[in-house]
Formats: sequence, C-alpha cells, structure tokens
Amino acid sequence: MRVSAVFVWAFIFAALGLGLAGLKVSRLGIPLDPSAEATVWDVEARVTFQGRGLPAKVALALPGAPRGFAVLDEDFVSRGYGLTVGKDEKATPEAVWTVRRAGGSQALYYHTKVYPKRDQSRAITDGPPPTFPEVPEYEEPLASAVSALLARARAESADVVTFTSLLLAALNNSDDENAKVILKSATAEQWPLLLTEILAGARIPSRIVHGLALDGEFTGRELMPWLEVHNGDVWQGFNPRTGQPGYPTNFLVWKFADRELVSTKGVSNVSVTFSAAQTPMTQLDVAQRVDSKLNTGLLTLSLSELPVATQNVYRVLLMVPLGAFVIVIMRMVVGIPTFGTFMPILVALAFRETRLAAGVALFLIVVSAGLFIRSAVTHLRLLLVPRLTSVLVIVIGLMLAVSLISNELHIEQGLSIALFPMVILTMTIERMSIVWEERGPANAIKEFLGSLTVAIFGYFAMTEEHLVYLMFVFPELLLVVLSLCLVFGAYTGYRLSEIVRFKDLAKD
Amino acid sequence: MIGTWLALRKRGILGLNARNRAYIMKRNPRRRYPLVDDKLTTKQLAIESGISVPPLYGVIATEHDLSGLGDILKPYSEFVIKPARGSGGAGVLVIDGRRREMFVKTDGRGLPLAEIEYHASNILSGIYSLGGVPDKAMIEYRVRVDPIFDPVSYQGVPDIRLLVYRGVPTMAMVRLPTRQSDGKANLHQGAVGVGIEIATGLTTGGVWHSRAVQEHPDYGVPLAGIQIPTWPRLLELGAQCYELTGLGYLGVDIVLDRTHGPLLLELNARPGLAIQIANRSGLKLRLDAIDAQESLPETAEARCALAVELFKKPSHS
Repeated sequence: MRVSAVFVWAFIFAALGLGLAGLKVSRLGIPLDPSAEATVWDVEARVTFQGRGLPAKVALALPGAPRGFAVLDEDFVSRGYGLTVGKDEKATPEAVWTVRRAGGSQALYYHTKVYPKRDQSRAITDGPPPTFPEVPEYEEPLASAVSALLARARAESADVVTFTSLLLAALNNSDDENAKVILKSATAEQWPLLLTEILAGARIPSRIVHGLALDGEFTGRELMPWLEVHNGDVWQGFNPRTGQPGYPTNFLVWKFADRELVSTKGVSNVSVTFSAAQTPMTQLDVAQRVDSKLNTGLLTLSLSELPVATQNVYRVLLMVPLGAFVIVIMRMVVGIPTFGTFMPILVALAFRETRLAAGVALFLIVVSAGLFIRSAVTHLRLLLVPRLTSVLVIVIGLMLAVSLISNELHIEQGLSIALFPMVILTMTIERMSIVWEERGPANAIKEFLGSLTVAIFGYFAMTEEHLVYLMFVFPELLLVVLSLCLVFGAYTGYRLSEIVRFKDLAKD
Repeated sequence: MIGTWLALRKRGILGLNARNRAYIMKRNPRRRYPLVDDKLTTKQLAIESGISVPPLYGVIATEHDLSGLGDILKPYSEFVIKPARGSGGAGVLVIDGRRREMFVKTDGRGLPLAEIEYHASNILSGIYSLGGVPDKAMIEYRVRVDPIFDPVSYQGVPDIRLLVYRGVPTMAMVRLPTRQSDGKANLHQGAVGVGIEIATGLTTGGVWHSRAVQEHPDYGVPLAGIQIPTWPRLLELGAQCYELTGLGYLGVDIVLDRTHGPLLLELNARPGLAIQIANRSGLKLRLDAIDAQESLPETAEARCALAVELFKKPSHS
C-alpha cells in the first residue's frame, strides 16, 4: 500500500539523519548545545641547559598521539634553533633542536593542547602483545627475598591483577623484612624498573610509562613513572608506590621507560620540567580541531570548511526548509489560508533581516499603500503584464519613500525595507486586490492575515538560534525535515479549520 | 475540539487532506486534467459525445479577435462571457439585455461595448485563469433557468453540482445565487448551497458561508422540499461525464434550462466539500459504499440506478 511505503521512506530518512547526527555527537563530540564548553589542557615542556659554546643538539621525546587524549595543537618555541620533528629509530615521536653555537643558559619549549577524551577507560592494547620475559637472576640475599615475596603473592592471588596488587603492596610494606631488603637495593629512580624485573621473575610482562597527571594546574613538575602490567589481553596500570590498580586522573603518557626523555650533545646541566594550565574552549571548536587532526572525513564535509560568505548563505538556506515545514503544518494541519505557497517564507526571510516588529510594520505599510494605488490603477484598465509592472514600479517607489522618510526621521529600521522581496510584495498586492474584488474585503484580509501569521511563525522557526546552530552543524537533519514532510504528505486527517467549518455536521 | 473531530470522523465527513490524497490523487489521472480545466475542450468533448451543453456563440482567442467581439455579439441580446480556464465562477460576465448602446448586466447596470472588450481582454491576459496563463474568452448562450428556482434565487443562474464518483452520482446540491454573490452561483462568493437527495431529486437543507441554513438568506423562503425537474435525466448526464473524462472523482456542474433541460456547464476535477454541509451528510460513507461494490455497472443508466438504490435514504445513521 502507498501509505506504508511513505512511512518506510520517512523512517529511513529520519533514521539516516538522526543516525548521522548521533554519530557526530558521539564520535566527534560535537555538542548539541552550542554553548557547551570543554576543558582543554595546555601542557608545556621546558628544556633548560647550559651551552658550552659548541654546536648543540637536543632531542626531546614527544607524546605524539597520547592515548585517551586528542591533540588539538602543538607548537615549539626555539628561537635561533633549527627544528626537526620526526621519529627516532624506535618510532617514538621526537623533536630535535640543533644550533651551531649554544652559549649560556638556554631554554626550549614545546606546547601541546590536549583534550581528554570521554572514554578514558578504553582498554590499552598498544603494540603487539609482549613476550614472556626471562626470569632474571639476583644475588643473595635479594634473590631469596624476591622469591619469598613472589611465592606469597602467588599463593594469595587469583590472577595477574590481584597478583600484581598483592606483590606491590608487600613490596611497599616497610614492616616486611623481605621488602626491606629489596627496597634497600634500589634508589628511588631505579625502583620502578626493579619492579618490572621482579614481575619478570613471575614471568609477567610489565613496563614503565612516564607521564603527567593533569589533575590541576601546575608548574615545574617532572614526569611521573607508572607501572603497566600485561594481563594477557591488555595493559593495566598500577601505582608503583602503593600497588593500587588504575591510573591517576587524566594521565597523559609522555613516553615509555625505554626512551630517554631528552638526549643532548654539546650541552650540560639539562633539565626538563613540565607545566600545565586549563583553558576553556567551546566543544564545537574542540570537535572541529580533533577532526581536522584525525581527518576522519565525517566532519571534513562540514560547512565550516566553506568560505565565510558561502557559510552565511547556507546558514540562511538551511533554515528555509524549516520555514517551509511551518507552512506544511499551517496548511495541512491548521488550515490557515495564505497567498501562494511559499510567499510567507520569503516574507519571513525578509523579517529575519529587518527584525520582526519593524518587518511587520513595513510590510503592512507597503502592502496597504500598494493596494490603495492598485485600486486607482484598476480604473485605467491596464492589461495584466503592464499592470503588474506598474505595481512593481510603485512598490519600489514606496520602498524608496519609506527608506528616505525613515532616514530623515532617523528610524534605522526603515532602511532595511530594501531587503523585502519586491516581486513577492507586488504579487501579494495583485493577488490581494483580486481577492478583494472577487470575494470581498473580508476574504482578502483573512488571507492576508493568514499569510502574515504563517510568516511570523516561520520567522520564529527560522531565527531560533539553537535551531540555526543545529541545522548548520548537522545539515543531515534536513533528512529529518524531509521525513516529516513525507509523513505530513500522507496526512489525511482533518485540518483544524475544518473542525470549525464542519462543526454543524457534528451536531444532531 | 477532539469531540467534534471524532463526531466528524464517525459521520464520514471527508476532509480536504483525505479528499486530495485518497480520492483526487488516486482516481484522477493528471493527464486528464486539461479536459476539464479548459471549458472549451470540455464543451467540444461533450458535443462529440452527445451531451447537451449551452450553445457556443464564439471564442475570443487573441487580442486581435477582440475587434470582432462586436460582430459576434450583434445577434444576441443575452449572452455570457467567461474564461475557458477560469475557476470558481471568476470572470463570468452575464448580460441579459440591451439598453440603447449599452449591454445590461444582471444587476441592471449598463456596460458599453468597450467595457466588455476590456473584460474579454482581461480574460485573455490570464487574470482569471489558474496560474495566470493566457486564456480564451468564450461567449455562449445565456441560460434561462427553469422557473422552479425563481423563488429561491437572486438573479443569476443557479446550477446543480453533482459529485460523480467512479461514474456513480454520489451527492448533489443546487447552488443558488444571492444578493451577496452578485448573482453568481459560487459558494465562496456567498451563494447558498442546497442539498438534493440523490434518489428523489428533492432538496433538503442549505449551506451558506459554511453554516447550515434552512431558508434563503435574501427571501427567507424555505430551501427544503423543492423537486428538481427532470432529475433522472440530470443524474444520467452527470454519470456520462465519467466516460467523457475518465476522472473518478468529478464535480459536474449542470444548469436547468427552461427550454433545453439539463445542460452541462462545466466539470471540476477538484470539487469542494461544502456539498457535505448542504446535505448534512458525510461523503466518505457514500464513497465507501461505492467502493464496497464488487464491480460497477458499465452504462451510465445502470450506475444511476445503483446510486438511487444505494442512497435511497439519508446515509448517515
């Protein structure tokens, strides 16, 4: 049946439009609310060193695309230095600064703007699954202390996670004699690496990552080591100090332990410190930057890629279907008579520019003045096309007069009358005068008021800022409008006006 | 509001949306519209099929023809000028006499020939036609209406609207001109519509400006109980128009001439719904009754018999 086909299509279009929009919201994080703000972290690495008046080379490991974060922007501050950004032999991103002669204390900066993604909890599976490590050999008494702890943890644990937690807890327990032995054997710097060795003793693959916890603004921090243990499927984080599973909030992984943070040639006293600051940014901005970085293509078709002038045209054009949809509702469901099908939207478009009150006033002035003159023209018995043209000339004259008078009176709104579609005004005057003559002033005024009402409703629909934003950012919502049009195209119920018209038939 | 909605539904009142989608779009093939949109074409078709129409005196097709208007009109003191593609009675000028050099309108106003030429020229320029396309002016026989309508008609020509669905006369009303409608039988302009029982040809109640009325607004005489003469012939004329046009949902406008009997005036592919108010009856019930028939008879005569059978009693119950 025809009806069901309509609904199938309507459903397909609606699903397509809403699905695309939903995808953009969920995948790209484009907000439905234009004012929604996101917190973006501005992280800075500051490399300081003493030049020795020799050619210098400083290579800094970069976070690249750190997991859990989207990089919105990167830049380097290094006056006088040659800069190459690339990858080292292990494919870790790095920045290499070089200079012919570096003297005195020097500072180089690397900035990155990162945005924490929503799904921070995603499983970490970077790299191929590690092979089981070799069991290391220790000297006594370290060897017996390690094996005693491993044996105890193994006895009390169920899986890799609980094993690691128990082991770390035991190692960090300063009352435990075995732990004391182990603790003494390593400095604070060596400690995390020692942990991986001990875990290797249980043939558990583990690694140390260095990163920053973006938990608040800070300056002068160093990278924090964190332990990651592979449970056979994914890497899991542990606090190397407490054995607590998990990561600090917003943990930005800068590098892995097997890569030096900074390697230099020809300089001394190298130190790297980090600082972080929060900056607010609208979610839309974030989404657009994330997308241009990832180049997923979903948003690269975005209207914001167009030249600004064209964008502004589409900002308006994309609202026209909504205005037309208002007409659909007004005609099909309410049953308001209008002059011509789309005349009210064109008038509403003009209202957009003139603002409502001024628009309605100007529209009334021009149409009534035009009608008055048109009735005078009737007596001249002009043929149709010349008569229409005369009315057009008169309409433009009226518009000019309104502009000039309002300019004289310093009423700014009067100037915007030039934005009215004059041909539409002409046809409105012509149609109205014909209806006036044929069916009386009552009908003409009724149709005119109907058109004006629809235009005003259309104006509100087309200027609703949130709707403008939604249509511009999610143009696929046009499909939803299309689907609603299909549904109303198959609407065979009464119009509200018919309820009034036929009300005598509802009585007995 | 919802109560009214449900009551209308229950009584099978047809709304515009349903009429357009379920009947006009389904039963009226678009390519057949030109047959009814142009009254000249309709008239020629009707003459070929032997359906009675008001005689045609002449056609003004171009501005050039206008100079011949006086010659065409010379033999006649009574005539009608109308646009071939007009709608709703717009642009119809009825002249029912001459006074010296003037043509006298039905309201008694005299018009010089120049005024009539201007009117015809307006018609040519498309002012009365749908979409404003250039049009032709038809000059035809001025119908002298059967005197049965004299007590309920203010000047002008009352006409009978027959709604013919798939060739079966379904609902009927007579449209009576009023002072307000300027003698035109157009409901929009203020004419009264009076329902007619399909089975008998007897008038029932009326509709004026979408309101149910019982008396003529100008004369105050009751509208019900008028027996339309030659009703069976009229029904059959309406039913024949289905073969003529192939339109399944068709409005047939017929005038009752006192000498020629029922004459086909024009056809309408989008007949209005006020006929329901005039008949105090929902169209949908009757359309459904016709659709419920296993098959519809081939001949116009048999379809009229079917209509009489189906709509013997007021169908709302």
